[in-house]
Amino acid sequence: MIKIGLQAEGTTESLGGTMAQGRLQRRILNPEAINGLKMISPTALYATLLLAVPLFLIFLYSFLTDGYLTIERIPTFGNYVETWTSPVFEKVLMRSLGVSMAVTAATVLAAFPMAYFVSFYVEPSKKSIWLFLITIPFWTSYLIRVFLWLVILGYNGVINSTLMGLGVITEPITAILYNANSVVITLAHAYAPFAILPIFVALEKIDRSLLEAGRDLGESPLMTFVRVTLPLALPGVVSAIMIVFIPTIGDYVTPSLLGGPEGKMVANLVQLQYLKLDNYPMGSATAVSSMAMVGIALIVGFAQSKLFRRVYGAFIGYSNAGLSILAALAAVLISFGACIVVGVVASGAFFAIVLAVAIGHIALLIWLKSQESKA
Amino acid sequence: MTLPAEQPTMIEFKDVHKYYGDYHALRGITATIRAGEFFSLLGPSGCGKTTLLRTIAGFEDISSGVVMIDAKDMAGVPANQRPTNMVFQSYAIFPHLTVAENVGFGLRKDPRTKEEKAKAVSEALEMVGLTGFGARAAHALSGGQRQRVALARALILKPKVLLLDEPLSALDKKMREQMQVELIKLQRQVGITFILVTHDQEEALVMSDRIAVMFDGEIAQLDDPETLYRKPANRRVANFIGTMNFLPAKIVSETSQSIQVEAAGFGSFTVAADQASGKKGDEETAVGFRPETLTILFDDQKASDREAMATVEEVVYYGDMTYYDIRLDGAPVAMRLSMRNVPGRPVLDIGARARVAWSTAALVLFR
Amino acid sequence: MKGGGFKIYAVAYLIFLYAPIILLPIFAFNNAAIIAFPLSGFTTKWFQALWAEPALWNAAKNSLIVGVSTSILSTALGVFAARASTRYNFPGKGGILGMIMLPLVLPEIILAVALLVLLLGIGVPLSMFTVTLGHVLVCTPFSIAILSAAFQSLDRSLEEASYDLGENAVTTFWLVILPLVMPGIISSLLITFTISLDEFIMAFFLAGTESTLPVYIFSQFRFPQAVPVIMALGTILVLLSITLLSIAEYFRRRGIARTGGKDTGGFL
Repeated sequence: MIKIGLQAEGTTESLGGTMAQGRLQRRILNPEAINGLKMISPTALYATLLLAVPLFLIFLYSFLTDGYLTIERIPTFGNYVETWTSPVFEKVLMRSLGVSMAVTAATVLAAFPMAYFVSFYVEPSKKSIWLFLITIPFWTSYLIRVFLWLVILGYNGVINSTLMGLGVITEPITAILYNANSVVITLAHAYAPFAILPIFVALEKIDRSLLEAGRDLGESPLMTFVRVTLPLALPGVVSAIMIVFIPTIGDYVTPSLLGGPEGKMVANLVQLQYLKLDNYPMGSATAVSSMAMVGIALIVGFAQSKLFRRVYGAFIGYSNAGLSILAALAAVLISFGACIVVGVVASGAFFAIVLAVAIGHIALLIWLKSQESKA
Repeated sequence: MTLPAEQPTMIEFKDVHKYYGDYHALRGITATIRAGEFFSLLGPSGCGKTTLLRTIAGFEDISSGVVMIDAKDMAGVPANQRPTNMVFQSYAIFPHLTVAENVGFGLRKDPRTKEEKAKAVSEALEMVGLTGFGARAAHALSGGQRQRVALARALILKPKVLLLDEPLSALDKKMREQMQVELIKLQRQVGITFILVTHDQEEALVMSDRIAVMFDGEIAQLDDPETLYRKPANRRVANFIGTMNFLPAKIVSETSQSIQVEAAGFGSFTVAADQASGKKGDEETAVGFRPETLTILFDDQKASDREAMATVEEVVYYGDMTYYDIRLDGAPVAMRLSMRNVPGRPVLDIGARARVAWSTAALVLFR
Repeated sequence: MKGGGFKIYAVAYLIFLYAPIILLPIFAFNNAAIIAFPLSGFTTKWFQALWAEPALWNAAKNSLIVGVSTSILSTALGVFAARASTRYNFPGKGGILGMIMLPLVLPEIILAVALLVLLLGIGVPLSMFTVTLGHVLVCTPFSIAILSAAFQSLDRSLEEASYDLGENAVTTFWLVILPLVMPGIISSLLITFTISLDEFIMAFFLAGTESTLPVYIFSQFRFPQAVPVIMALGTILVLLSITLLSIAEYFRRRGIARTGGKDTGGFL
C-alpha cells in the first residue's frame, strides 16, 4: 500500500509530502480502488489493444502517404486536402448526414409513443414480454431483413402490388427504391429498438405520483405531459438520438443493398477506399473526417437545443408560448445561418463552411456555459 | 435487565479511528464489552454505530487503534476467521439455497459427518422456532421467518459474539415487539455476547444490559439502560433517549456534597452533587426532568416535595396517557408532563390552571 | 379502454417491425425463382437446395466456431467488467467503462477498418481468428449490459454473510456469486452468440478469403437465382435466433427472480 502510494506521489520525503501521500492513498489508492482496477483490467486491456490503439492508428494513417503497394511514412495533410476538396465526399457526406438525421427523427418520433405505451399502459407483468417482442427483430438476421425491404418496396413488391391490386395506383411507385428514401425507411426499421429502449427506461424512472401531483395542481393531462413527463423523459430521448444517429451515419449494408447509385453513404466510400482501391491513408482520412463531422453535428445539435431553451426561457416571461417558440426558432436559424454565411463569405469551399459552423457553435456553447455560470 | 456479574472482557476497543477518504467516521472509540452481555450500539443514522459493528465482524479495516476479541488483537484477521457471526439488516439469506442449506452454510469445513450436521441444522431450526422448515426455498419465507433463519445460521457456528445489524427494522411493529422478547430469551439460553445495532431507543432500552449511545463517530455515553434514562451524560443524549424538559438555571453555590440552584419558575433549591451531569462549562446550565417526574395534583392531593401553580398550554390525549404542555408561573418556557389517565379524573383543557408537583431528587443538572 | 389509441399504434408498430420476418418464410416456401408477388405455390425445394451448397456449409461451420469462441470470450470479459463496475469504485471508472462500451455507438465500419489497419500493420493474417477478435469487441458491451443487471441485483451483504460464515473470496465466488449470476451468464452467452452469428461488417472486413454465414449471404445477393435459397436459409437462422433469444430471456428472468430483484425488462 505504502509503496504504491510512494510511487504515485514521486519520492517526496518531506512531512508535507507524506501527509499528501496519506490523503492520496486514502482517496485514490484505497484497497477497493485497487481491487476494482484489477478486476476491470482484462477487459480494459482488451479494449485498449483492440479498440483504442487501432483508432489511434487510423488517425496516424490518415497523415501518411499512399505509395504503390506500400504505405510511405511521409507525413502529409494531403489526404485531408483531397478529402475535403472532393465533390464526391462532400455529396456523400451531406447525404449521409441528411439520411441519418431523417432516420433519427423518424425513429425517435415513432419510438416515443411506443415506449410511452409500454411504460404507462402495459401491465407491469407484461412489460418484459413487450420489450422482448420489440427487441427480437433487432437481433435477427440484419442482412436478410434489409434485403426483404427490397421485396417490400420493390417494383413488384408488397406495397406496389397491394396498391395496384386495390386500384389506388396504376403504375408502380419507383420513388421508394434505390435512393435515400428507401435507406431512411430501412434504417428507421433497423434501429427502432435502439430508440425505444432508452426512452422506455427514462419513462419507467418517472415517479407516477409526480404525474398525479401535476394533475392535482390543476394541469390538464396534456399539460401534465408537457410540463412533467416530457422534461423527465428528455434524457432518454437524448440517448436515443445519440444511439441512433451515430451508428446510422456509418451504416454500410443498407445503402449498398438499397441505396442505388444515388443512395451511397460514407461507409461505402470508406469501404471503397480500403478494400477496392487499397488506399489506407485516404480511407483513414475519410473515416476520421466522417467521425469529425458526427462530432460537429452533435455539438451543433447540443448548442442549438441549449440556445433554443435559453431564448424560450427568456421570452416566456414577457409573451405567450407561441411567440416564445417563434423567437427561439429565429435565434436558432440566425445563429446557424450566420455560421454558414461566414463560411461562404470567407472562401465558399465546403471545408470552410463546415469549419465556420464548427467554430461558431463551439463559441456559442462556451458563451452559453459562461452565461449559465453567471446566473 | 439484570446486570451481569463481573464478567471477563469479550471485546475491547482502544482508540479506534476510521476514515473514509477525508470523512472521519469513528473518532477514537474506547470501550469494553463483557462476555455474555446483551450490548447495544444506539444512535441516529450516520453516527458510526454500524461501522463500529462491522469493525468487529472484520468487514471494515480500521485506520488506527486496536480491536480485541477474547483478548486477541484482530488486526489482519479476515472476517471469515473471526469468532463472530452476524445477522444482517437485510438478513442476507442466500436465495438459491433452501432453508436447511442456508443454516448449514457455515458447516462446510466442519469435520462432523453429514448426519451429525443435519441434526445440528434441525436443532438450530428448532431453537428459532422453525422446526420442519428445512426443505423450504429461501425466497418463499416471510420477513420474520427470514430473520429466524439468519439467527439460526449464525448461532449454529457457536460464535463467541453474535452481531445484529438493525435486525428488527424491516419488521412491522407487532412482529418487532415479539422478536424483541424472543431475542432476549434466546440470548439467555445460549449465553453468548450479543451486540445489537439500532436507532430505536425503546428497542435498546428493552433489550440491553448496557447501551453505548453514539453521536458523530464518538461514544457519548456507555451505561445500563436505567442510568442512561435517569442520568443522561448531556443534553443530546437526554434528547435522544425519551423526552426531557430543560429549564435555564443558575448555580448559586456549590460544595462537594450539594449544589444550590436557582431556576425561574422552580425557585431556589438544593440538589445532590451526583445529580449533576457532564463536565463543568460544557453546556449552558439547565435543569432537566422527564415528563413523568412532574405530576398534576387533583383535589386535595398533597405534594411530597414541592409544588407550584401552572397554566395548561397544550393537551395531547393518548388513551392510556395524556401529555400536557404546562407553563409554571414565572417560567420562561413550557414543559411537557405526562399523566396516566385514571377513571373518574378529568382531562384538563387548554388554559386551565393546575397545581403541579415535583421532586428535586428526580432532576438532572446540566452545566 | 385506457390507452386504446396507443394500443392500436403499438400493434401497428409491431407489424412494421415484424413485416420482413413474416415475409421471409412466405418466400422461402414460394415456388418461384423471383422474389416478388404474386405468390405461385408451395415448395420445399429451396430448403433441399441448402444441402447441396458446400460453400454454405463451410460458412456455417466458420460462423459456429466464431460464434462459440466469441460468446465465451466476450462473456468472460463481461464478467470482469460487470463485476468491477457494480461492486467497486475506482479512479477513472467512467472513462474506462466508456471506452469499453464505445463499440455500442461507434459505426461498425470504423471499428472494422481500425482493426484491419492494426492487424495488417503487425502482420496478423486475416482469418476466422481475426473475425473473432472483432466480434468480441462488438459483443463485450452487450455482455456487460446483461451481466451488470445480474450483478446489480446481487445484494452485497450476501457476500459478506458468506465471509462471515467462514468462506474466503474464492469459495464465496463459487458458492454464492456464481450460482446467483449464472442465469445472467447463460443469457449473455446466448445473446453474444446470436450477435456474432448475425454480424456482417467485421466479418466482411476481417475474414480474408474465408467467409461466415452473413458474408456468404451477402455474396449470394448478387445472384438472383440464389436468392430463394437464401430465403430458406434466413428462415432457419431467424428460427434459430428466436429460439436462442427466448432461452436467453428465460434465463435472464429466472436470474432476476432468483436474486429477488424486480424485473425492469429488456436486455439493455
